[in-house]
Amino acid sequence: MTTLEGFLIALAKTVVIFLGVVNVAALMTLAERKFSAWMQYRIGPNRVGPYGLLQPLADGVKFIFKEELTPAGANRFMFRAAPILAALPSMMTIAVIPFAPDIVIGGKNFGALTIADLDIGILYILALGGLAIYGVILGGWASNSKYSLLGSLRASAQMISYELTLILTILSVVVMSGSLNLREIVEAQSDITRWNAWNVHAMPQFVAFVLFVVATFAETNRHPFDFSECEPELVGGFHTEYSAMKWAMFYIGEYSAMTVMAALTVVLFLGGWSVPFWPDAPWYVGLAAMLAKTGCFLFLFLWVRWTLPRFRFDQLMRLGWKVFLPLALLNLVVTGAVVSLR
Amino acid sequence: MADALFYVMAVAAVLAALGVVLAKNPMQCVLSLLASFFALAVIYLLAGFQFLAAAQILVYAGAILVLFLFTIMLLNLGNPGSEDPTDVRMFSRANAGLMVVVAAALLFVAALGVRRAGPLPVAASTPKTGLDPIPALAGEMFGRYLLPFEAISVLLLATAVAVVVLAKRDRRPNEGGRT
Repeated sequence: MTTLEGFLIALAKTVVIFLGVVNVAALMTLAERKFSAWMQYRIGPNRVGPYGLLQPLADGVKFIFKEELTPAGANRFMFRAAPILAALPSMMTIAVIPFAPDIVIGGKNFGALTIADLDIGILYILALGGLAIYGVILGGWASNSKYSLLGSLRASAQMISYELTLILTILSVVVMSGSLNLREIVEAQSDITRWNAWNVHAMPQFVAFVLFVVATFAETNRHPFDFSECEPELVGGFHTEYSAMKWAMFYIGEYSAMTVMAALTVVLFLGGWSVPFWPDAPWYVGLAAMLAKTGCFLFLFLWVRWTLPRFRFDQLMRLGWKVFLPLALLNLVVTGAVVSLR
Repeated sequence: MADALFYVMAVAAVLAALGVVLAKNPMQCVLSLLASFFALAVIYLLAGFQFLAAAQILVYAGAILVLFLFTIMLLNLGNPGSEDPTDVRMFSRANAGLMVVVAAALLFVAALGVRRAGPLPVAASTPKTGLDPIPALAGEMFGRYLLPFEAISVLLLATAVAVVVLAKRDRRPNEGGRT
């Protein structure tokens, strides 16, 4: 394989994955409105395009043409930088998530469908995911408004607390599969000779699985943990003062973080692209399986939002520090003991 | 390519570090520090230490700097007023010149020392594959360097306990009845 060929393949993968995830994030805004309408016995957006499918496009045009307001006394540089810092990390974490096994077209192997097959994939996701907090903190602080500041303080306290649970649950998976590489974690879950349910980490790591899924809700500031933008108390939280495209950047960040987290849950706990009862499935079936599993988790995000009421902030903190953290730690210790005795 | 990137990142790291010391607004200091950490992480990556780079971002940029930001936001240190007279005197032209000369001399001596000493013994004794593969790193950390590693952990734990004790003692008289 020549250098040029390798470059073109890498470029193609980057474009496909990046555009795919950004489009999924855009469609999620429509899905959110459609599902909420469905659950509340309404119709939802149905004017733009068939079934309202072009609504995200219309929204995008609207965001671009709206007036941008900067509150008086705001720190201009940071007010502008915050939305970018909020949207960037979740888009960069996409790079290490493997979506499909080695792509073989006409007998030629193009490698796994992932932008970067890093040996430290999990660490990369944790490191960049931890930076999403800067957008929230700086956005709230630079707005020069008490609602924004309170919202950003809450959001950052929440994200720091639940990141610990997230890291500890991921560590138990890493201990079981013995690798930090996401592709190898998926391969550790797909038994080559037969598809065995016990191989999938969600079975032996059931506690970690449940903790991880709940912690992702807190980490992405989604319902029932969306205190950063708790409307009755804080107007809109850290993005109260934002308008037009800057406001949209926060939302793009939130929805792409949801997409990445859903994909990460599937990769870590549900065997990624492996297909039940079909161990040697071709790559496109694997890709379809991966997308279907991710879709289920994206639906779970919406389902929970329109079903459960919001927690109280002290309840959230107590749950995070007094229940989730000890449980995750205990789970890690037990996992370590079992693995070392095996 | 890698060489050019190294020089760009080295210059960026030094400029950002200067920004940490010289910026008037504490918020800008923290952001400069963030930029400096990033440039350093890229330099680690160029040297082939992936794990170190990720740990640098995860620990320093993701955790420690966020605490700094919290402190600055909550204490409202935002206004760059000059209530503190030492601020101005400290950066008078003579002092600044002296500082630059001393720092340059120290750097020069350190560079001479490194040049004369040759490669460090630790670097010479590391396996050919480098320390970066995580099993090798873990083996070193929990094998040869287990005692220093545990000693530092205990030290950090003691510091955390001490901070809690200090914070609690200060607050007790004001709280009236509540523990």
